[in-house]
Amino acid sequence: MPRANFEAQLSALLSASTESNERAPSSLKARLYSALIRKQQETGLLASLEQSVSAGHDVCVFEKLVQIAPVSDNAKSPFFCEVCHARVLAEHFDHAPIFWAGCPYVKFKES
Amino acid sequence: MPPDIEASQAVASTEERRLIAGVLAKDRKATGEFVARCADWLYPFVRNRLIPRNEVIEDLIQDIMFAAWQALPSYRGDANLRSWIIGIARHKVEDYYRKKLLAIEVHEEDDSLLEPTVTPEFEDQIDSAALRGKVQKTLASLPEAYALALMWRYRDEKTVREMAQLVGKTEKAMERLLARARQNFRKRWTNAEG
Repeated sequence: MPRANFEAQLSALLSASTESNERAPSSLKARLYSALIRKQQETGLLASLEQSVSAGHDVCVFEKLVQIAPVSDNAKSPFFCEVCHARVLAEHFDHAPIFWAGCPYVKFKES
Repeated sequence: MPPDIEASQAVASTEERRLIAGVLAKDRKATGEFVARCADWLYPFVRNRLIPRNEVIEDLIQDIMFAAWQALPSYRGDANLRSWIIGIARHKVEDYYRKKLLAIEVHEEDDSLLEPTVTPEFEDQIDSAALRGKVQKTLASLPEAYALALMWRYRDEKTVREMAQLVGKTEKAMERLLARARQNFRKRWTNAEG
């Protein structure tokens, strides 16, 4: 078989072997999200939960407690998910048993 | 029209601009939405170009996400967010290919690379799942630099000259690398049939 023909076949094989529009696994999204938030924290405080709510975003029940607490905006800025079981489960399992409304990790399962 | 071309013609929507403003303000919820969208765009793009190197896919996607976040202040919305981030991904993947191919030594005087005249007959149904699996398996069994060289040349349709320039080798050296990669692919493909 001539080389050009072999190369054309190889090209067709390699192109056809990778056509996919597969979505990212939710556990990967969870790990990427945690990593990006940590990266954002390296350059200063995150926006407060008050700002997130004002922008029209939902917060989870734990974040709601923080949001309504009579503390400063700075105190409402840490990445609270760092200590949440939902994050740990979501980072390790694609179908993690987490169901909190407003939780970003739950949203990754649905996206 | 292919989705890539279609996407590249659109500019950022108001909704995308709002999302980006949220990410830049370090709003965790906007960041979550940003990650969910970008991961779905990046995952198939990167996976298609690095499979079967699954162990590097996540690291590379994370690297792209960080680079995108750092470049976000300069995003002007001339292209939509998907096209913009895929552009970053394309550079990162090329960079990965380049580094791997740069590390491999190709001796120009080596004449043991003459390709055999006998080549395997590839099946006609190149879109079948079994054949896709066989291609992935064959690529996985190759040394990484060979697999990447083949993917870069035949999947991404880079010319030998472009590859040589990007890697910093001569065209002849790149031709020899590709010849060796093709020879290995052929051999392993045929062995898998036996």
